[in-house]
Amino acid sequence: MDTLQAALTGVLVGGLYALMAAGLSITWGVLRIINLIHFGLILLGAYLTFQIASSWGMDPILTVVVTVPAMFVLGATVQWVFDRLQISELSSLLFSFGLLIVIVQAISNLWSADYRQLTAAVNPYATRSFSVGGLVFPLNTLLAFALAVVLIGGAHVALRRTFTGRALRAFAQDRAIAAAFGIDHRRIGVLLAGAAGATAAAAGMLFALSNALTPATAFEWFGTVFAVVILGGIGHLVGTLVAGLLVGALGAVVSVVVSPAAEPFVLFSTIVLVLLLRPQGLFARGGTR
Amino acid sequence: MKRGLWAFPLAFVLLATLSLYRETIGFPVFYLTLLTTILFWTSQATSWNILSGYSGYFSFGQAAYVGVGAYTTAVLYGRHQVSFYLTLLAAAALCAVLALVIGGLAFRLRSLRGEIFALLTLAVPFILGSLAHINTAIDGGQGIIISVPPFPSGLGLFQDYLYLISLVVAVAAVWAAYAIQHSRFGWALASIRDAEEVAEGLGVATFRYKMLAIMVSGVIGGVGGSIFALQIGFVAVASVFNLTVPLFVIVMSVLGGRTHWLGPVLGAALITLLQDRLTASGLANWRLIVLGGILAVLVVIAPEGLYVRLRARPWYALAAFAVVVLVLRVTGVYGGPLDWILAGSLAAVVVAVWPGRTPARKPARPREAEGQAEQQDVPAPASPDEDAAVLVECANVARYFGGVRALEDVSLQIRAGELIGLVGPNGSGKTTLVSLLAGTLRPTRGTIAIAGHDTAKLPPHRVAHTGVARTYQIPRPFASLTVRDNVAMAAMFGREPRSLRQARTEADRHLGFVGLAHLSDAFPAALNLHQRQLLEIARALATNPTVLLLDEALAGLTPAEIDNAVEVVRRIRQSGTAIVIVEHLLRVVNQLATRIVVLDRGTCIADGDPQAVMSDPAVVQAYLGKRAHA
Repeated sequence: MDTLQAALTGVLVGGLYALMAAGLSITWGVLRIINLIHFGLILLGAYLTFQIASSWGMDPILTVVVTVPAMFVLGATVQWVFDRLQISELSSLLFSFGLLIVIVQAISNLWSADYRQLTAAVNPYATRSFSVGGLVFPLNTLLAFALAVVLIGGAHVALRRTFTGRALRAFAQDRAIAAAFGIDHRRIGVLLAGAAGATAAAAGMLFALSNALTPATAFEWFGTVFAVVILGGIGHLVGTLVAGLLVGALGAVVSVVVSPAAEPFVLFSTIVLVLLLRPQGLFARGGTR
Repeated sequence: MKRGLWAFPLAFVLLATLSLYRETIGFPVFYLTLLTTILFWTSQATSWNILSGYSGYFSFGQAAYVGVGAYTTAVLYGRHQVSFYLTLLAAAALCAVLALVIGGLAFRLRSLRGEIFALLTLAVPFILGSLAHINTAIDGGQGIIISVPPFPSGLGLFQDYLYLISLVVAVAAVWAAYAIQHSRFGWALASIRDAEEVAEGLGVATFRYKMLAIMVSGVIGGVGGSIFALQIGFVAVASVFNLTVPLFVIVMSVLGGRTHWLGPVLGAALITLLQDRLTASGLANWRLIVLGGILAVLVVIAPEGLYVRLRARPWYALAAFAVVVLVLRVTGVYGGPLDWILAGSLAAVVVAVWPGRTPARKPARPREAEGQAEQQDVPAPASPDEDAAVLVECANVARYFGGVRALEDVSLQIRAGELIGLVGPNGSGKTTLVSLLAGTLRPTRGTIAIAGHDTAKLPPHRVAHTGVARTYQIPRPFASLTVRDNVAMAAMFGREPRSLRQARTEADRHLGFVGLAHLSDAFPAALNLHQRQLLEIARALATNPTVLLLDEALAGLTPAEIDNAVEVVRRIRQSGTAIVIVEHLLRVVNQLATRIVVLDRGTCIADGDPQAVMSDPAVVQAYLGKRAHA
C-alpha cells in the first residue's frame, strides 16, 4: 500500500515536472534554442504568486491572471532578443545561462535567500486532500497533475489542429522550406516562446502551492527537468508528459522502498540509461528528429 | 614551444618569491590571499578551457570537479585523517573517472552531442550535491570541518603554504593548456571545434581526443577542488556544488578568450579582482548579477574574447590602463591600489572590446599573379586495366534511413588508377554511397572492404587511414585555421602522422598542386566557392589517399572554373590515385572517366565503359524519361 501510495503521489508530482520541462523541450525542438532562462521564469512565476497572494490576499490560483500574461511577455521578449542578436544554438546556452544567474540573484536580492512559503490563510490548497480507498490525494498535487495534463494535452492538440501549430511543426522540420512558404519565423518564434513563458508561470504557481521557495530551488530542477526532456524526446510534448509522470513515480517509489538517499542516484542512472539506449527519447519514432 | 620552456619556471619563481620573501619585500598577506583566489580560479578556468574552449563542447559542470575534489579531501583527510597529499591523488583519480563517464556518455551520441553534453553537465553537479547532502557517509547535511594540515614550518603562515600549492597547481595547469595548444592534441581539438565530422573524416581520432581533453580537465578541476577545501576550511554542499563555479569559469574564459591558453588567466585575474572590489564596496549581492550580465553581453559583442582583441590593439589598451591608474593615483579621489588597477583594467577592456571595430584577422596576402598551377613531375598516366589491384570492394551494400531506402544492393569494385564517374538523378543515392565509402555512414546491409579491411566496424578516422578521402559538396573548411593549416591539419593526422613543420611543407606542395599557393595565408572566409572546393581537394589529397571521393566538386562553378578543376582532377589521376567523381555534368564525366557507374533510385543500373553506358537505354530513360528514349 505504501508503495502504491508513493507511486501515485509520484505520478501527481510528475505532472509538475512535465509542465516545467514542456516549455524547454518545445522551444529547443522548434526554435533550436536551449533557453535556460526558462528555469528563471518558473522561479519568478512562483515568487510572483507568493507575493501577490500574500500581500493582496488573492487566491493563489487566481494569481495566474497576472503572472501568465507577465511571463508571456517576458518569454516573448527574450525570444525577440535571441532573434535580433542572431544567437546560435550553442551561444544561446551561454547567453541564457548568464541571464538565468541574473534572474536568480535578482530574486535572491528582492526576496532574500530564506525560505518563503504561502501561509495556510491564503493557501487553502496545501492542507486539503481527498482519500479514496485508503489512498490519499493531496489537493495541490492533484491540481498540478490536472493542469499539466490539460495544458500539455491542449498544446499538443493545438500543434496538430491549428494553422499556427502546423506552421510551427513545418518550421521545426525545415526552416528554409517553411520560410519559403511564407511562415514568418519571427512572429511564430516569439509567439511560441511567449506560450512557453506562460507555462512557466503556471508551473511556478503550482510549485508555490505546495513548496517553500528559495532562489536555489531553480537549480534543483535541473537534473529532473533534464531527465524528463531527454526521456520524452526533444520537442515531443506527449512524450514529455509521460516522461514526467514516469520520473516522478520512479523517484517517489525508490525513495520509499529503498531510501531517500538513493533518489538522486536513480535519477542519474535513468539519464545514463536513456542516453546509452535511446538517445532520441523513449517515445520518438526512431531515426533523426 | 621553446619560449615556454623557460617562461613557465620563471613565472613560477617570480610568483613564489612573493611568498617566500614576503617579509623581506614587505608584501601584504592580504594581497597573497587575493592572489591565492586568482590562482584557484586560474586553474579552474584553465580546466574548463582545455575541454570547452579548445574543443567547443560547453560544460556547465565545473562544480562537479570542484565538489568531488573538495569532498574527497574533506571525507578522507577531514574525517579519516588520511594524508592530505594522498587525498589530492584520490581527488584527481575520482574526477578523471567522473569526467570519463560523462564524456563516454555524451561524446558517443550521434546527434545533438554538444547540447546534450551541456545539459548533462548542468545536471550532474546537482545530482552529486544531493547525493552528498543525503548520504551521511559523505556529508549528511552537516558539512565537514577541515583542520589545517601539517606543512613545512619554513614556509611561514598557512596562507603562504596555501598560496604555494595553489601556485604549483595553477602553473602546471596553464603549462598543460599551453603544451596542449601547441601540440597535435591542440590541433585536433581546434579541428573538432570548427568541423568535427570533417576532422574525423580526415583521420582525426575525435572521440579519443575529446576523452583525453575531458580527463585532463577533470584532473585539474579535482586537484584544484581539493585545495579549495583547505582554503575554505569547511566543506558544505552549497559552498562547492553551486552554479557560481561554472558561471565564474565560463565568464573568465569567455572574457579572456577561449581559444588561447592565456585567455583564462587574463579572465581569472580580472574577474577575481572585480569580485573582490565589489564585495569590498558592499555590493556583494550584485556580484552575480554583474557577472551574469557580463557573460550575456560578451557572448553578443566579443565572443572571441580579450586576448584576440588585445593582440589587435595592445597599445591603446595599455595606454588606457596607464592613464586611468595614473589619474586615480595622482588625484587620489577614489579607493586604493586595487581599485586603481581594477579601474585601469576595465578601461583597457572597454578600449579593447569597443564594438564596431572587430579586428581583421591576419590579412590575407595574395601574391602578385593569380597563381597558375605549378607544373609537377608526374609519372605517365597509369592506364587502368583489369589486373590492377582492387582497392575498394562493395558487396550488396544497402542503406536505409528509417523507411527510406537510399541504397539497395549496390556492388562495386574500384581498382587502382581508375577514374569512376558516379552519376544519377537527384536523390539516386550518390552522396549516400560516398558517405558509406568514406565511413561516415554505416551500411544497413552488405560489406565494404577497403584495401582488404572491412570498414563496417571501423570508426571513420580509421577508414580514412585505410586510404579513403572525400570532399564535401558544400565545402566545410576549418574556419579558424588558415588555408595552409587547413591542409596541414589533414597531413598531420593522415595515414602517416607528420609533425606540424613537415605537414606545413606538404600543405604548400598540395596547395601548389591545385593552384591555391597564393592564398595559403588567407582564412577560408576570404575564398570564393571555386577556391573553397579546390581547398577541399587539397585537404583530401594531404591525407595521401589511394581513393579520392569528389562529391560534386564542380557544382556551381563557371565554365572557366570547371575547366580549371577538370585539369586538377586530371593531374591527380596522373599521380596514380583512384578517383570517384560524383557529377551532374555529363560532358565533364565523359571527358574524364575511365568508367561510369549510374545509380537510379538507390540501385546500380549501369556500370562500364563511358560510351557503352551512355547509350544504355535504361540510363537514357532514368535521365530523360521514357518518351525521350522512344
